Amino acid sequence: MTTTTTILRSDGLSCPSCVNNIESNLNQTEGISKVKVHFNTGRIEVEHDTETVSEEKLVKVVAQSGYEARVSQF
Amino acid sequence: MKTLQKLFGNASTRKKVLLFVSGLLVTAGWAANFFWASSRLFDAFMLLATLTAGFEIARRAWQGLRNRHTNIELLVTIAATGGLAIEVYWEAAAVTFLFLLGGWLEARTMSKTRDTLKELINMAPETAILVDGEKRTEIPAREVDEGMQVLVKPGAKIPVDGIVDSGGTTVDESAITGEPIPAEKQAGSEVYAGTINKNGRIYVRATKSGADTTLARIIRRVEEAQEEKAPAQRFIERFARWYTPGIVGLSIVSYLFTWDLELALTLLVISCPGALVISTPISVITGIGNAAKKGILIKGGEYLENAGKVTAIALDKTGTLTAGKPNVTEIIHFSKAADLAGVNPKEEFQEIHTVSLPDRNNESLPLEGEELLYWASVAESTSEHPLAEAIIAETGQSGRIPEPDRFESYTGQGIEAVLGEDHIFVGKTEFLKQQGISINDGIEKEIATLTKKGRTAVLVARNNELLGAIGIADQMRPEAPKMISRLRKNGIEHIAMLTGDARDTAEAIAEEVGIREVHAGILPEDKNDIILEMQKQGHQVAMIGDGINDAPALASADIGIAMGAAGTDVAIETADIALMSDKLMNIPEALRLSLKTLGNIRQNVVIALVTVAALLTGVFTGSVHMAGGMLVHELSVLAVILNGMRIRWV
Repeated sequence: MTTTTTILRSDGLSCPSCVNNIESNLNQTEGISKVKVHFNTGRIEVEHDTETVSEEKLVKVVAQSGYEARVSQF
Repeated sequence: MKTLQKLFGNASTRKKVLLFVSGLLVTAGWAANFFWASSRLFDAFMLLATLTAGFEIARRAWQGLRNRHTNIELLVTIAATGGLAIEVYWEAAAVTFLFLLGGWLEARTMSKTRDTLKELINMAPETAILVDGEKRTEIPAREVDEGMQVLVKPGAKIPVDGIVDSGGTTVDESAITGEPIPAEKQAGSEVYAGTINKNGRIYVRATKSGADTTLARIIRRVEEAQEEKAPAQRFIERFARWYTPGIVGLSIVSYLFTWDLELALTLLVISCPGALVISTPISVITGIGNAAKKGILIKGGEYLENAGKVTAIALDKTGTLTAGKPNVTEIIHFSKAADLAGVNPKEEFQEIHTVSLPDRNNESLPLEGEELLYWASVAESTSEHPLAEAIIAETGQSGRIPEPDRFESYTGQGIEAVLGEDHIFVGKTEFLKQQGISINDGIEKEIATLTKKGRTAVLVARNNELLGAIGIADQMRPEAPKMISRLRKNGIEHIAMLTGDARDTAEAIAEEVGIREVHAGILPEDKNDIILEMQKQGHQVAMIGDGINDAPALASADIGIAMGAAGTDVAIETADIALMSDKLMNIPEALRLSLKTLGNIRQNVVIALVTVAALLTGVFTGSVHMAGGMLVHELSVLAVILNGMRIRWV
């Protein structure tokens, strides 16, 4: 198991309640150990196991919650 | 089907399509009502609009429920479903459509406030040209390792932090320092990722790449600052936490008492605390973002609040009010004019000239001045004394300096050096006198004047003949007096200078800058004590300093402001506000921006609270229904966002 932290950025966060929508959905996904969504900056920090959850999968889960996001270098 | 799936897989396209279609349906409904007066057609269109817009909302509500959490979308879904059940189709359509429209508009404007950060992130180039012998390969910038050499062409962005190996250019460093004037770079100069190479090819030896670069660290700092919750924000979030359940409870209770379902549903519609929860963050993000663009890094909303209340300021001298780097300021030399006129150049006929370098604007020195500097540099060329650096830097502008064949340094006194036939002495007046060099009264008087102005004087003699003297000073930054007077104009009366330097020098600078209270010759812990003393007098104190020796004082002050923090972590760590460049005017600017942002937060909180109060009154007096409730609610959110965005332009 290799855990890593991936940073995603979303432009779609319109109100602080969006934070819970994304956080709860990511938290329910297997292979993700820690999630923090920052409303102010639109930054999504995800600690996940790279073997079970790929970066693309993260983007997909966020899209499922209704928001578009991209993986970012930092 | 596939294209439809693709369309719906992408969250933002799906939202836009649903919004557009439901908008069309609402318009069609009103058209049917207007042209054919058909209430049936009107209701049908409104039902369709509700289902279209409601699809996205209900989907998110369901998603939340599956993850066992209730969200605003659930409340809106209940309200809309209830609306359809009691056959108020227009109200249901308006609620869902406005909710989507509001969300879309808010996301768009919110993303504008996040622009500064996006600009910064986009500053970092994706790739670097790696140099390996004759080979040039393009690789991802974050994969460049320490010690690798990269080529940066004119007009390109520098991909890594590093040191210039060869080549020369000017670099636009505004992304890092906020300084609009490009900086000169030659071999040995430091360059930063994300800055723009203007006109020359340079080869750069990488020191840091990817997330370790200064740019990435600045981005991280700005983000952390924006994410840090201001006390006002925490208070409002606590309020919001009971606001929503409270209104939902109120909705149920009022239904039980009045059996008025529409009233209950209207309450659900306005139960989202949108404007309230967004009121503080929007101002903080925009304020911190605007400051960052100017090269001011404010580390969090809390510091915005403290900086807005400052009543007294303590400043460090060296490196803050002065450039922190000694410079040659005057050259005293003898004129050989008498020589040219054919008169025997005896000492008493020699004229003494004092040349002030800052007043000369890069005009070349008279020949005698050049000669004086040249011989001083020869003697100092192997010394590492800061004064030697100043002399060599000044001479360096006019050619190569040979190293002496032999030299000896007398600590705290001066240097003796021999180059070929020439025997040179450089040092204090007493030192040259000891070496048997005669110094006339005229020049001693000139030197005394310099010392009074806070300069250090260095005399130069060659082959037992005095050539003249060099005045050296750590010069005041030119904008320092303007900054002090701006601070005074902004109402900060108590301004003090703290320095470890000697009183003469300190007072000379203080007078030039316009500071009356001077604490000279003090240690770092004394600086700290002075801050504590000021606080005891009831002041909110800001301390401005440039580094390690100021750290204790920076930490105890209510607001610590660090100068020129690009690159040094120590300053960023201890200070609450860090200036990315040495632009002094950014100090009053930081305080002004803080004050403006603080005011903006207050306005936003008032807008939000007034809206909530008005909505509740409106609902219970019967003048606000579902559609109107949603409209006012979304408008208040937009009003708060737009008001917050004004901070971008102050």
